Amino acid sequence: MTFIADIFTVKRESKPRTRRIESRLLIISALFLFVNFLALTLIRSDIQITEWVHLIVWILSAVIGSALLDRYLPGRDPLLFPITMFLSGWGLILIDRLAPAFAERQTVWLAVSVAAMLVVAIYPHILRWLRQFRYVLLLFGILLLLGTIILGTNPSGFANAPQLWLGFGSIFFQPSEALKIILVAFLASYLAEQYPAIRTGMLEGQGWHLSISPRVFGPIVLMWGICVLILVWQRDLGTAILFFTVFMLLLYVASGSNMVLISGALLIIAAGLVAYKAFPVVRLRMDIWINPWPEADGRAFQIVQSLLAFAAGGPFGQGVAQGSPTYIPVVHSDFVFSALAEEWGLLGIITVIACIGILVARGLQIAIQQERRSYLSLLAVGLTLLIAAQSFLIMAGVLKLVPLTGVTLPYLSYGGSSLLASFVIIGLLLRLSALEN
Amino acid sequence: MQFNREINRLMTGILFLLGIVALAATYWAVIGPDTLLQRQDNPRLVLAEEQIVRGTIVDRNGTELVTSTTNADGTLTRQYLYPEMSSALGYASIRYGVGGAEAAFNNILRGDNTQKDLLTQLSGDLLHRTQLGADIRLTFDLSIQQEAVKAMGNHAGSIVVIDVPSGQVLAMVSLPTYDPNTLDTNWETLTKAPGKPFFNRVLQGAYQPGIALQTPLMAAALLANYPLDTPIDQATQSVKVGDVTIQCVVKPPTDTLTLPQAYAYGCPYPFAKMVQELGFETIQSGFNTFNLDHPPTLTGYITTPADQATSEPKLLFGTDNFTDNALGQGKITVTPLEMAVITAAIFNDGNAPVPYSLLQTRQPNNDIWVDDKTIYSPVPMLTANSARQMQTIMQEAVQNGDAQNAAQPNLMIAGHAGLAYVGTTAQSWFIGFVSTGSNQGAAIAVVLEDTNDAGLAAKIAGQVLSTAHNYQMTTTPQPKGGA
Repeated sequence: MTFIADIFTVKRESKPRTRRIESRLLIISALFLFVNFLALTLIRSDIQITEWVHLIVWILSAVIGSALLDRYLPGRDPLLFPITMFLSGWGLILIDRLAPAFAERQTVWLAVSVAAMLVVAIYPHILRWLRQFRYVLLLFGILLLLGTIILGTNPSGFANAPQLWLGFGSIFFQPSEALKIILVAFLASYLAEQYPAIRTGMLEGQGWHLSISPRVFGPIVLMWGICVLILVWQRDLGTAILFFTVFMLLLYVASGSNMVLISGALLIIAAGLVAYKAFPVVRLRMDIWINPWPEADGRAFQIVQSLLAFAAGGPFGQGVAQGSPTYIPVVHSDFVFSALAEEWGLLGIITVIACIGILVARGLQIAIQQERRSYLSLLAVGLTLLIAAQSFLIMAGVLKLVPLTGVTLPYLSYGGSSLLASFVIIGLLLRLSALEN
Repeated sequence: MQFNREINRLMTGILFLLGIVALAATYWAVIGPDTLLQRQDNPRLVLAEEQIVRGTIVDRNGTELVTSTTNADGTLTRQYLYPEMSSALGYASIRYGVGGAEAAFNNILRGDNTQKDLLTQLSGDLLHRTQLGADIRLTFDLSIQQEAVKAMGNHAGSIVVIDVPSGQVLAMVSLPTYDPNTLDTNWETLTKAPGKPFFNRVLQGAYQPGIALQTPLMAAALLANYPLDTPIDQATQSVKVGDVTIQCVVKPPTDTLTLPQAYAYGCPYPFAKMVQELGFETIQSGFNTFNLDHPPTLTGYITTPADQATSEPKLLFGTDNFTDNALGQGKITVTPLEMAVITAAIFNDGNAPVPYSLLQTRQPNNDIWVDDKTIYSPVPMLTANSARQMQTIMQEAVQNGDAQNAAQPNLMIAGHAGLAYVGTTAQSWFIGFVSTGSNQGAAIAVVLEDTNDAGLAAKIAGQVLSTAHNYQMTTTPQPKGGA
């Protein structure tokens, strides 16, 4: 129980203890992965060495990452890295099991992502740079977005698929993944400058007046504009909702105003209604969310098959590679959570939810830990919210709690840019956690 | 400290939402197995079906008739090795279900009832071992069945051969038939085909009996002590029933015949006269002894006649037009199996064997065949005396009468052939038996649709009975004799 209490308390661990907790968790993760890769190898009739390459790359990433973090960030949070590695290792098993053709690519991306995380975590000036060059970064991000709108492709090559990627030869990158970090950094530094004025204004009863001032209104309009752009030109419902939710919550934390939450919720509902009328993709998602059963073999096939996977998994699951989650179309990216439910059961699902809960709790604790440094505090909140909101949207989506939005489940889904961005977020959080007061 | 309140609220909110996700997952994991997984569109159900290794079907001599082979991709193919067997064995298709013997013994073939010890059960569930079905050994004999199909040629109709006294069905042919190996691709065509290939005529065909009904009529006359030696003048005259004029099957040498002679030549007039003289009550009770309104079933097989209207209690349908009915040109219909059982009862000194088709089962991964424990007790129909008189009369029909084409050198074959009129067409009947010793042998019923040639039915029956006789003379009886 003390361990659970520790997750929610601001407590800087002693350096040897950090190291001990981290390495123990990594060893447990490695054992879990070993057992699962072993089961996967045994169940496949043709035993191949290549499957173990995934585990070896994972172990190397964990050992090197842990050693470098020990050397350069001794005061870091002890849970973030092992839990991230645990989830992404599990992701490797899932992709190897669901779409073996993609597994090698994902393993390469894992190594690249861990390296990027280490660079971000260890390089000392990164947080200052993010603040200093925020307008340059914002411009760069918006150019990336515009570039995607003009030059975007889809690696699958289907004509009607949303074109959210930029291609460089055989490497594809989804700019919205970079954009979300850039925008969070930008908003954190912008709001950190503006927040005292907003807060004071609120206290003096000028809430209404202030909420229409350009200082507050400006970024909201900017963010709203970006979201609309993403939705209209890219038909990327998931990213639009993710961005908007994170921005509104960040604004709420900065301003402390409940009005922001209420107006944000109203804006989402209003946007939803307009989008329902205007965009067929939104209408489809809403219709099959409200009642998928009559169209179980048509438009609602994915979501119904997803729920069937949860049912087939039951409490303990069918075992790795022994269920049939591949009936769900594109199971390895959007529906990886359902596949996990079928093969590891409710037990696996609760484990994943708990891991995400711990990541979120630690991230928000890191934000509180920043005390009066509002930029760093808001940055930690924003980064954590990205993980939290994205996880919730897809987990609740495949369970028919909310309409489906095509976002990836951080660390577990197939997708290189998503994995890279999620690891960069952890790198930044690790850096923030190690800062001395 | 500045954002603490908001951050803590945010934390509470997010953890609450994650809790909701966990609850939703719990909901589907707990209630799902009972509701969702039973949905028709759950592909796992089909997958589970596809992985069941259905048992092998062998004939009475152990010849493999149907096997399951595993393909390279792990799926299974059901292989039907002899096209002649399909009307007896039916089909098993993931898409279209099961029919025939595959349906009758589906649970055994799937292994649903297989006894497993706890360890096998547990390891099967945990490791998703494929379900193995048991093998079955049926009463059919491949050579008799093949001879029957060959003898039928291109005719539509049916043949059923049952072993006497056991009641084991040796052959069951219904034509036209289908190829169960290509069922999935040809299903649409087959279901619309005019000859109704899925319709098992032996068990379900509600045929007009026509002159075939003279056999129960003759027995009814015996039971009622109708004078058999009295010559009947102008016995060869035709009888008009509705729109149909019935004549003798073969022309007798004289115009004056006794009733047994009229039976032998298939002449209708003496029977019409006899029916009138005996009256409705007597004929009705005579038919009752043959259970004419309850066609026999074959365990597990679908036996309901396709035409439901005729499966009502029929007998003579009251006193109106009861002569038409008694002469087999009214509302009475019979199945080929029914006529074969009646013939078998006559041959078996009045005791009707109960037809069955399952001999033995063999559990998966086991070499030992185990007898099916069901006991089929024969049903008394006639007195032994009247049965023996009938045997003699039927032998006369093969030796000198309408069924001469059934005769085979050195074989004791008895029987009766005739026509039944259906609208503007006719169908040919033969019922009879071959003896291999005292009350041992085989009984047969043959129906040829759209064929105005009772002699052909008799000829086909003779060939099949000859094969059956050869088989029975050279093979020791199967372990399960009639009780």
